[in-house]
Amino acid sequence: MGLLADSMTIFKREMIIFRANLRTNIIRSIMFPIILIAVFGNLGASIRGVPIAVANYANNQQSVQFINSLVADGSISLQYTTNQQQGVTLLKDGQVVGLVVILPTFPQSSNGNPPVDVYYSSVQLSEVGVLLSKVQTTASSFGASYEKIQQGSTSPSGPSGVIPGSAGSLTVKSNSAYGTGGNYTTFLVGSIIFMTVGFGGVFGSGMSFITDRQLGNIKAFLVSPINKRAIVLGKLFSGTVQSVIYGILSLIIGLAFGAKIIMGFVGLIWILLFILAIGLAFTGLSLFLASRMSKVDVFAIVSQFIVMPLWFLSGAFFPANDFPFALRIISYVDPLTYVTNGVRAVMLTTYFPFSQIMLDFGVAIAFIIVALIASFVLFKDTLD
Amino acid sequence: MTDNVIEIKNITKKFGDFTAVKGISFSIKEGEIFGLLGPNGAGKTTTLNMVLGLLHPTTGKILIDGLDNTEYPEKVKNLIGFMTQETVVDSTLTGRQNLEIAARLYHVPEKEVQKRIRSSLEEANLTGFADRQAGTYSGGMQRRLNLVKSMIHEPRILILDEPTTGLDVQSRLSMWNHIKNLNKAGVTIILTTQYLEEADSLCDRIAIIDHGEVKAIGTASELKKIVSSGNILDITTKVSNAEEVQKLLKSKFHLESEVKNDRVIATVDGKPIEMLVKIGKALEDQKIEVLAISMHLPTMDDVFIKLTGESMRDSASNEMPDRMISAGMAGRR
Repeated sequence: MGLLADSMTIFKREMIIFRANLRTNIIRSIMFPIILIAVFGNLGASIRGVPIAVANYANNQQSVQFINSLVADGSISLQYTTNQQQGVTLLKDGQVVGLVVILPTFPQSSNGNPPVDVYYSSVQLSEVGVLLSKVQTTASSFGASYEKIQQGSTSPSGPSGVIPGSAGSLTVKSNSAYGTGGNYTTFLVGSIIFMTVGFGGVFGSGMSFITDRQLGNIKAFLVSPINKRAIVLGKLFSGTVQSVIYGILSLIIGLAFGAKIIMGFVGLIWILLFILAIGLAFTGLSLFLASRMSKVDVFAIVSQFIVMPLWFLSGAFFPANDFPFALRIISYVDPLTYVTNGVRAVMLTTYFPFSQIMLDFGVAIAFIIVALIASFVLFKDTLD
Repeated sequence: MTDNVIEIKNITKKFGDFTAVKGISFSIKEGEIFGLLGPNGAGKTTTLNMVLGLLHPTTGKILIDGLDNTEYPEKVKNLIGFMTQETVVDSTLTGRQNLEIAARLYHVPEKEVQKRIRSSLEEANLTGFADRQAGTYSGGMQRRLNLVKSMIHEPRILILDEPTTGLDVQSRLSMWNHIKNLNKAGVTIILTTQYLEEADSLCDRIAIIDHGEVKAIGTASELKKIVSSGNILDITTKVSNAEEVQKLLKSKFHLESEVKNDRVIATVDGKPIEMLVKIGKALEDQKIEVLAISMHLPTMDDVFIKLTGESMRDSASNEMPDRMISAGMAGRR
């Protein structure tokens, strides 16, 4: 009881200060997202030459036409014409991103199964997206339906012997594909939200903690009879609220610049949850850093040094899966990779990738717990 | 024993190898103004921080109103108001908001909060500025706000760390009045100060601390008696002449004196004016160049130099202008 009431006192003070500098705070926090989204979001970035293998069991005129129109615009490049067995091997070896299997009945369905199967690797998020949407549009222009089969999943027509999750040695995540209508701006906004939230969290409370200590406010709190944990908790609340505000603002900016939340309202709720989680975690992280630093400029450099790489390595501008091996390893231990991925999942797909979101959200929760424990343990309530 | 509102029992404080406070003991009576004097680095602030509970003593105990302050920190902290040397107000908050936050930090009952804020604003003469940001206030206004802010929970003890450092003359005098009024209303006050005259005129009792130890404790006049019961003869000359002066005082007047650089200081019993004239004449006869000569009752300055071996002037060199105005006050005593 006492702890919460005391925390609210600190929270109230922080929010008065935040409101007093509202205009500066808002402008500072939205400048970066606006520039990034406006400039990079409209670069017209696209993916070309996605390597695939085709196993054509139909071998009729329509199937050849289908393959030709599939590769016509250069976004997909046909590397191998092979059978299903070898195609899957190529897929497992990482030589191709997808395997398109055209069944003998093409373009008619066989016994209710679609005439085209697409096998894809689960580690090449962006390229698979291009592949699937291309196959979908081309197949429908031929009046055929198709079936997505993630490599490793059990499917009626899938070959036996494919071990689940064995597409590479690193299958921490299972990526879903882009849904239709996704664009690069959407992809970018999914990460820029977290840059804003991350910086908001780090600078909001850590910075104020250090200046408060320099100005003697922390000492004034310490000589008062409040519960000392309330100082951390109050700052944590206010920092989180501020960074959530910044996150929502950058989401709004993103939507204004043409990003979409394909999952709709449910997706929005998830995005807000992710923003809240990362705001809380980064505020905790910043308090942990600030508890051991006495200079604002050192703090600014150190937190910059932490937030920036975390953000870049989360696959801010292009998917982390396409990183070189060493960087990919780092991206797997970067909590931002997961939350960015989670937000992109709800922004870019129409179905609910439950297990993936649970993983992503779980990582966020773990990050929060670590950051909070660190900030509470390291906070000293005396001067020695 | 009950009238001792603060009892400090043999506290020591070590920072690594360095011992900042070496076994200090003293007690402070309810309703007095207690001054803590000492050169920089003497252990004043460390002692205050221990009383405030910001530092835990390495050994020893501090009882506040009979309660150990490390065992009952919350109860004890509600009894104490504290104002630091630096003015601590939130410059982005208005005066009213500053007070409101302070009231909540000290758990002032909800129905009392507005009443206390109003009376505090009146007391600090800030009612007209209540809804302006504290950052727009002048230095003196901020200081007054700081003081009422640290009194918002109506504590029985008020600890002031150098309350007048850096204030102009008017602000200082009004701060002194404030302190006296609070004391009259029954608040026990502990203050540290760099101004000896301040301690002299304001404090009921004074403790002089140096190198982490209490060198002397008592009323101003008790402390002055440590130096001498008579008058102080203070001759300022050239460094090269100091020893000559000392010899002269010894041979002609049988006065034992101390040499501190260019100053020769001796204690004179008996008729001060007569002696001063005689000594002046002797110095002139010997053609010893003298820059200044004075005969006065012991001041806190003398006590301080005697006990700590250094002048406040050396330790607080940035306070020169202030010393000019207060020199007169010290002399009157």
